[in-house]
Amino acid sequence: MLFLISKRVLAAFATVIAVIILSGILIHVVPGDPVTAMMAQSVSATPEAMADMRARLGLDLPVWQQVGLYAWHVLQGDFGRSIRGNESVAWLLLQRLPNTFSLAVCGLTVALAIGIPLGFLAAIKRGRLADTAVMVIAVLGVSIPAFWLGLIMIQVFSLKLGWLPVAGSSWRNIILPALTLGLTYCALVARMTRSALIEVLAEDYIRTARARGLRERQVLLVHALRPALISIVTVVGLVFAYLLGGQVIIENVFSWNGIGRLAVQAMLERDYPMIQGFIVVFATSVVIVSMLIDILYGFLDPRMRQR
Amino acid sequence: MTVATATIKPRRRRMPVTVILGLGLAVVIAAASLLAPYLTPFDPMRMAAGPRLAAPSIAHPFGTDEFGRDLLSRVLTGGRLSLGIGIAAVVSGLVVGGLLGLLAAFAGRAVEAVLLRVVDVLYSFPDTLIALALVAFLGPGIENATLAIAISLVPFYARVTYGLAAAERAKPYIEAARLAGINSGRLVRVHVMPNIGQSLIVMGTLGFSSAILSAAGLSFLGLGVQPPSPEWGAILASGRNYITKAPWILIFPGLAICLTVLSFNLIGDSLRDLVDPRRKGRP
Amino acid sequence: MSQNHRRRHTQRLLAAVAFTTGLGLSIAAAADLTVARAVDADSLDPDKTSTTQSLQMTNLIFDTLLTMSKDGSLHPGLASEWSVSDDGKAYSFTIRDGVKCHDGSTFDAAAAKARVDRAIDPATVNPDRSLWGPITGTSVDGKVLTVSMSEPYSPFPSFLTGIQAGFVCPSSFATADFKPIGTGPFKFVSWTRNDSLQLEANADYKNFNPLIENPGKPHVDTLTFKVIPEAVARMAALRSGEADLVEPSLEETADLKSNSDFKVYAAELSGQQVLAAFSWKIKPLDNPEIRKAIGMAMNRDAYASIAFEGLVNTANCPVAPNLFATDQELCAGWGVKYDPDGAKAIMEAAGYTADKPLKIKLLAHKLAGWDQMHQIMQQDLAAINVQTEIETREVAAHFDHMSGENGRTDGEPFVWTMGMSGVDPDYLNFLWKRPGFVNMGLNEQVDAMVDEQRRLSGEARAAKIHEIEKYLLENAYTVPLVSPGWGWLMASTAKVDGFKLGFMVSLLFNDVTVAE
Repeated sequence: MLFLISKRVLAAFATVIAVIILSGILIHVVPGDPVTAMMAQSVSATPEAMADMRARLGLDLPVWQQVGLYAWHVLQGDFGRSIRGNESVAWLLLQRLPNTFSLAVCGLTVALAIGIPLGFLAAIKRGRLADTAVMVIAVLGVSIPAFWLGLIMIQVFSLKLGWLPVAGSSWRNIILPALTLGLTYCALVARMTRSALIEVLAEDYIRTARARGLRERQVLLVHALRPALISIVTVVGLVFAYLLGGQVIIENVFSWNGIGRLAVQAMLERDYPMIQGFIVVFATSVVIVSMLIDILYGFLDPRMRQR
Repeated sequence: MTVATATIKPRRRRMPVTVILGLGLAVVIAAASLLAPYLTPFDPMRMAAGPRLAAPSIAHPFGTDEFGRDLLSRVLTGGRLSLGIGIAAVVSGLVVGGLLGLLAAFAGRAVEAVLLRVVDVLYSFPDTLIALALVAFLGPGIENATLAIAISLVPFYARVTYGLAAAERAKPYIEAARLAGINSGRLVRVHVMPNIGQSLIVMGTLGFSSAILSAAGLSFLGLGVQPPSPEWGAILASGRNYITKAPWILIFPGLAICLTVLSFNLIGDSLRDLVDPRRKGRP
Repeated sequence: MSQNHRRRHTQRLLAAVAFTTGLGLSIAAAADLTVARAVDADSLDPDKTSTTQSLQMTNLIFDTLLTMSKDGSLHPGLASEWSVSDDGKAYSFTIRDGVKCHDGSTFDAAAAKARVDRAIDPATVNPDRSLWGPITGTSVDGKVLTVSMSEPYSPFPSFLTGIQAGFVCPSSFATADFKPIGTGPFKFVSWTRNDSLQLEANADYKNFNPLIENPGKPHVDTLTFKVIPEAVARMAALRSGEADLVEPSLEETADLKSNSDFKVYAAELSGQQVLAAFSWKIKPLDNPEIRKAIGMAMNRDAYASIAFEGLVNTANCPVAPNLFATDQELCAGWGVKYDPDGAKAIMEAAGYTADKPLKIKLLAHKLAGWDQMHQIMQQDLAAINVQTEIETREVAAHFDHMSGENGRTDGEPFVWTMGMSGVDPDYLNFLWKRPGFVNMGLNEQVDAMVDEQRRLSGEARAAKIHEIEKYLLENAYTVPLVSPGWGWLMASTAKVDGFKLGFMVSLLFNDVTVAE
């Protein structure tokens, strides 16, 4: 078990390093000299500031060394300073991380609360009308652009009915974006839950249980639920990653003040240190979550525990 | 992009209703987009083609936008853009991803280990995020958005191709061919490709719906196709402030995205179970 | 269940949820005001920024030496008296007694001197440096600050009433990190960039601005500015009561005006002019005839009525309507008139046909109405065989980008748009004297004229300003488009009373009360 955990932690760490290096390389994708590209956007672009930036980035060094330097800075928690406003990128991102996480968690909760029961229903009624209905909803669900759904939600619940606000950070403001995210991703959860349960229901011991004459409800709740939930745990990690991706757009639609909105603002302003920081922080979040889920899975699943 | 789901063996080898439905929808959308220049009642860019913000009517079945442009014409023409971006991104993503996948499967242990590790890492990130990160550095615009989306699809296609190729690799005839001295390149071209090609095309349709969604999302954020191009996401972006006054500006392009994505999801989903290597690979 | 019944039921349900979870929240006191804007301040240091969105904020924290009434006449501010020497080269300001900075330090003549010295220090890299005039030195004698100039600068007192000339206290810039400490009606509390800015009322405040009635501390205790870039979300915030005052979406302003639950405010004193300008250093836009043709293609009526929803007017001068010496009719005679056919003929004569169009860029910034204006402009230009690619940036990024672009003498030609605001036509000098704002300066002749108008006053100055405007328009260095153009509209719920928009769309909260 300990071996499993340390292996996962190491892999996650390696992934994060890889992401840092990648985002370090990305700045060299920008056409032209990166410092000019960066500082062309800044009022405070005095020659000294540019020279300072050059030295910091080690621009006289070969590219691989520059990237190394960037990675070295980032590992020490130094993401550089934003071009707009000259503030610490790490601080700007950290400030908004709680907002992003609370929205993601709320969105995930909605997705699970709707998706899991639907998935169960579909699996139990496999091949029947309820199953088809759930699966049709699921396909529809993944086909609706989240930002479009978000706009419709704002129109209906904020502008028309005046029930719920947007663009703040109190608990009332989180409802609409969380619902939008949840509704978009519940379809995914429903499908995965259905698959997981169907797989479990096909196992020999379930058949045995049925053969022994146990009532269907008992079979489902006692024998099938637990193993199915274990597979759902792995699914949660995956859904969480996708949800974080979709959240970037949703934060902008609702003017929710998370790092997704910060990032898009930075992208429109071409604030490169900020964008690099966003990529690293966002990717790290995804990596950490999936690592935790993997470890949790290890704890839950006896087969994994033995390894 | 959607994630693989499990099903037990396909029940009958008959084309499911959903596939027919999806195919039908896709054909209609593709035809409407292709024939857009002949079908559109107005030049999609022409301002004051009708009154501003006119509700749907016979003259303007989808209504008009804030400049009095005919929305039906814009949505149809936008289809060409959206589908074009989707196709370009999927084809290039599939080619690059496919080659990487084949390379991983047939270029030896070391290459396999390294490539797989990299692909798996990238695959763990949502593709919208990868596209967004790339476009942030490449800059906005239709070409850059397409390139970014194509690259974001590479990990998915590489993974899928590798899975299919690895399954193929284990088959006895490959072993036999190898023993007969046929080199890897020829092996792949002559034996592996024909066998997995069909499956790859099916997987292609899955990436397509995700590419359309990514393109619309990027344009909506102002990072993809720029106005006045009638790309669906761009129409939504420039019309969003009219949500109360002229909701049709948002409804029709939004529906167009939904239906297109839906059609490819219907096709892909139903066929995927037949070809998904991760399903096949499971004990 | 009937539709209505169901809705009532849901509402009751929601109310119950709100009640149970809402206990922890305090009921908002009437003295807090939340304002939502589309774009955040770039900086709170008035010497580091020139965007309206920034100066709207700094103007709440910092006072000015002088103030201006609606009719344009000058009034005291931090300075109780002022005078100019006979040769027009020395201005004296008597600084009031007992003015306190927000940190408790005294604002006196020495503090005022330190502030002027900083504004003109080359090390400050002040984007508004040229507006301070040809200052050669400052001195203090008791309560009197004297500012010496190398030559007469008649717009100086007007400039000192404007939002660019906020008087920061020396403690603001005593350390390397700027701290917004002033003498204004509101104290700085906190700022999270692109999220929210928090201010609180200055209990010791004494007002001298003739636009404001309240003589002392503002009625509201705290002011919170939120940044909500999405217009739809901003309107939702207004309608749901999340914000009391917002920059409305242009698309919905007309509807708000006719709704008694809301109030709409439009600035009468914006001093704003929206302009198009050219990369006149790059062929073929170095040819005034081509520039004129492009100007002739621009359907300004459509920009005003469609892009800006009829909430602005077309304006003919390089300087905003209602400012000193601005004469719309004179300018109309000098500038180009809308004539797409004539424009097309010029372009075709120059060899640009439908098959071989002139390819240029249209460099612009994002703002409500502007995006739409650029789309119409793009179509206008297409009609005269000019193919444009629109490149849009955020406001501050656009101007930074333009500094570089305006320096170019080759490469792809471009047309660009901008807005300028002020309280005096002297911004002609700020914009067009080399190097000029974002390097848009023109030539020796213009340099001389825009300097000359500073030395003159009254009729003579008006005549000089007309000469400059004539030159700019006849040579088509600029095409005036509309006025106003940004941030000139605000909307509030009906319970907000007393909000005003001042010069250069400054936000005046001193008189604001919020009904229960």
